[in-house]
Amino acid sequence: MREAFSNSLVRLALADPKVLLLTGDHGYALFDEFRKRCPDQYINAGIAEQNMVGMAAGLARVGFRPFVYGLAAFVPIRTVEQIKLDIAHDDLPVVLLGDGAGFVYSHLGTSHQSTEDIACTRAIPGLEVLSPADRFEMTASMDYAYAANGPVYLRMGKSDRGDVHAGPTGTLRSGGLLKVRDGRADRPGLIATGSMVRTAVDIAAELDLAVWSAPVLKPLLADEVCAAARATAGLVTLEEHSVLGGLGAAVTEITSEHQPTRVLRIGVPDRFSEHCGTHAYLLREHGLDTDSVRAKVEGFIQ
Amino acid sequence: MTTLATPRVDAGAERRFAPARMRRTVLEMAYAGSTVHIACAFSIIELLTVLYRDHLRYPGNDPRAEGRDFLVLSKGHGVMAQYACMRELGWLDDSHVQGYFKDGSELKGLSDSRVPGLEVTSGSLGHGFSVGVGIAMGLQRKGTDQKVYAIVGDGELNEGPIWEGALVAAHHKMDNLMLIVDKNGFQAMGTTDDVLALGDLSAKFASFGFETLEVDGHDEAAVDAAVRQLWSTGVGKPKALIARTVKGKGVPFMESDNRWHYTRLNPQTFAEAIDALGLAGASK
Repeated sequence: MREAFSNSLVRLALADPKVLLLTGDHGYALFDEFRKRCPDQYINAGIAEQNMVGMAAGLARVGFRPFVYGLAAFVPIRTVEQIKLDIAHDDLPVVLLGDGAGFVYSHLGTSHQSTEDIACTRAIPGLEVLSPADRFEMTASMDYAYAANGPVYLRMGKSDRGDVHAGPTGTLRSGGLLKVRDGRADRPGLIATGSMVRTAVDIAAELDLAVWSAPVLKPLLADEVCAAARATAGLVTLEEHSVLGGLGAAVTEITSEHQPTRVLRIGVPDRFSEHCGTHAYLLREHGLDTDSVRAKVEGFIQ
Repeated sequence: MTTLATPRVDAGAERRFAPARMRRTVLEMAYAGSTVHIACAFSIIELLTVLYRDHLRYPGNDPRAEGRDFLVLSKGHGVMAQYACMRELGWLDDSHVQGYFKDGSELKGLSDSRVPGLEVTSGSLGHGFSVGVGIAMGLQRKGTDQKVYAIVGDGELNEGPIWEGALVAAHHKMDNLMLIVDKNGFQAMGTTDDVLALGDLSAKFASFGFETLEVDGHDEAAVDAAVRQLWSTGVGKPKALIARTVKGKGVPFMESDNRWHYTRLNPQTFAEAIDALGLAGASK
């Protein structure tokens, strides 16, 4: 998935010399290929994320296409105001890349974990929010973000969970869900995003449930969500993000107005991590490991 | 390479940018809109006069011209001074002045880049300078001779991103960027010395790698000379012009009285302020 990201970035930058990569002194080996092949389009803006995001707005104002990379805890969270005011207010074509979202930095504690970034970015007018689940969605998301020619936040979460699609997804549709598998119409359907799509697929195979992936969290088309609700008996949302303001909120906002449906939101409870440990450990702490999720879904079925 | 800006002179230029008339525009807008930040606009009137009259290039008098220079008003609460310049240029007219803050009007109380002529959406402090640094970096990469002027308040220098941007501007040798500090010595709640002392600003910016000058920000000839000198020296260095100014300059009862950061005009103070400008005989 990270290779898909790097390849996409290099491909876009080689095709368009206006594409610039700005990083707040993060990325390490992720950008080796980019630095080798597009050295003039690489800008390490220093450990100064607020200025970096404002600067990206200035670069976009004079015709460049900045991709701004940071850990999700910093881009977007540390720089929410710059994103709102400097970029989104003027609909500037800047792609914000927030890496390590969720509990990727499981041992480092709260400063590097990010479970509120979808909520914060989703409420910023005009800002599209992407959350790819595997390498195929990543490639499609990068293409979508470039083609959007406006402000986009691309959330990069746990990246080593394996493919959820059999092959390339094709062009992402604005607001569209991606059907990952069919399931029983008399059981709940799962709508998941990012790293949790893999979990959804694993559970769905055991319980014969339909699964949709949501690589585009904003906009999210009401018709798509309502169709999923009509095709199944209730919906379950899964995300490595707070249950407040993320995918679960987006889905229930739609269903409550257009297609009243029972919805179970599975995500991070409204609290910080208590301990450190492996990523799998933190998922267990927050009830997001496969066993905990399966138990919640089974409870919802009954 | 540094290139002196070509003065954008036309037949009407001499008659434009009369500071007293621009202050009158500010007063008229502030009165019409019953709004604040009058003193914050008055301190930068001469700075803007010199920049618009003698330095900023707008091909075709078009505020959105591709090849223009950029005036970034990072201290967005001084925006009425910029509106006054835009009126001098014919970009705004009397209806904008009299209609200020009327429901549905476009001109806001802080700089908003959706208005042609304003480059950034500021007012939340410490934003505009970073955007200006990005514009300067973009112009530098394009290899044009366009210039970027970023005006910040001295109080605004409390904001961290200013100093992040200063590091970046020097590191990338942005000699197409001029930071102008409106050093009026006040911020919202008191003097800069009392609230958060700034120390020696020239020394600070010089130590960051800026070519730096101090000037009387109300002396048009001195400001013009300083701007020219900064552009012609310090190859590879961003510029910092520390402009000593008087908050509320031009209306004696407002000068260095910080209440005029946030006080609204009433019919009496409006009339007194207009009188104080001494515009007798001058056309509006």
